[in-house]
Amino acid sequence: MNVALAILWKDLVSEWRSRDRVMAMLVFSILVAVVFYFALPMLRPEELSALAPGLLWTAYLFSALLGLNRSFALELENDALAGLALAPGNRGWIFLGKAAANWVLISIVQILTAGVFALFYGIDLVPALPGLATVVGLGTVGICAAGTLLAPMAVRTGFREVLLPVLLLPALFPILAGAVEGSGAAVAGRPIPFAALQLLLVTDGIYLIVAFLGFDYVLDE
Amino acid sequence: MSARLLSLQAVDKRYASVTALSGIELELGAGQGLAILGPNGAGKSTLLRIMAGLAHPTGGKVQFAEGAPQRSRVGYLGHATLLYPELTARENLVFAGRLYGVEDPGARADQLLADEGLSGVANRRARGFSRGMAQRLSIARARVHAPELLLLDEPFTGLDEPSAQRLSLRLEGLAHEGHALVLATHEIDRAARLAQTALVLVEGMVKRRVNAEEMSEPFLRTAYAEALEASP
Repeated sequence: MNVALAILWKDLVSEWRSRDRVMAMLVFSILVAVVFYFALPMLRPEELSALAPGLLWTAYLFSALLGLNRSFALELENDALAGLALAPGNRGWIFLGKAAANWVLISIVQILTAGVFALFYGIDLVPALPGLATVVGLGTVGICAAGTLLAPMAVRTGFREVLLPVLLLPALFPILAGAVEGSGAAVAGRPIPFAALQLLLVTDGIYLIVAFLGFDYVLDE
Repeated sequence: MSARLLSLQAVDKRYASVTALSGIELELGAGQGLAILGPNGAGKSTLLRIMAGLAHPTGGKVQFAEGAPQRSRVGYLGHATLLYPELTARENLVFAGRLYGVEDPGARADQLLADEGLSGVANRRARGFSRGMAQRLSIARARVHAPELLLLDEPFTGLDEPSAQRLSLRLEGLAHEGHALVLATHEIDRAARLAQTALVLVEGMVKRRVNAEEMSEPFLRTAYAEALEASP
């Protein structure tokens, strides 16, 4: 557990000082919002409300891909990833620390992105906040679990920008399905369907267990 | 020979169709120094990464003497520094100490910074360090958990002569303190000073061994040249 906390601290301090990962994700998310704004100019407010969860999750997913890739690209600088791999004990704790740091940083970007979407599309997200926060938080756990498992493999290849999306996006389909359904219900003021929460919880659990146990092999050469 | 710390038996390493190491046999005693010499691409770094537990051999066995697990007994300094540029020197060492479960990582970091003459820059970010300072901090990082064995992969690369000289003296000091050292290098003079035995690797195979009785700079230089000449 101490190893996980040490890595969480290290990633957050490094990001606080450089701010490059959060800035890159945030700028990308805002650009996605702007692109959709111009791509869908004639929509009525009720159509926008219906589309908003899907648009929001599109921005969330692609900015998370950017952040996850960057998270391990930074570990390659000075071969710091080898430094992590050398640490004794269960490497699952390394996964947990990296995943927790990714979750915190991606969540910050998601909160700011939601604000930008609300502003651009004139949607009042305040009444939906508790439900939306639950669904987004759970969905992001799954994204970070799968992404933190796959990113170290992807960044050590010559196709790092391409490989992570190709590996990760198919794994995120169940998360996307549950998250969009749950977010749609929250934005529309309906209770979040139990099936959506169940899908998110089960997928999160599976990805967390697989990644915790599998990270040992991921860090091996 | 001192008590055996590490032995490699018939170690092979292949990457797809490329053989990086073939049939490596070696033994290392506690507190002993071993130099691994060889041209670029000979397999020196791969051998060190296998000893460190960063890579697994495709065949053969790596055995440490009974005791703590492999990764906690080894300090590794590779081509890169393993440092985080946005963390200060002290934070880098405290972080490494926490990874290894060091009891008081702050006190250990302060002690290592003093050992390496870096106390004055303890709170400076590693990004601003010269190559020589970063190398000293890397050595401190490799020693944070007081390992029995230090694996040093081309530690003099990129250093100017005064920095290389200072590093060489520092490594001699560590050897005298009882650390076993494995040093992969091209620099025969420094290898002869730091190690009691040596082996010459060419194309992943041991072409020549130099034992403690034979070890001297002229002998090592000749042995190295002969091993290269004998290879196709």
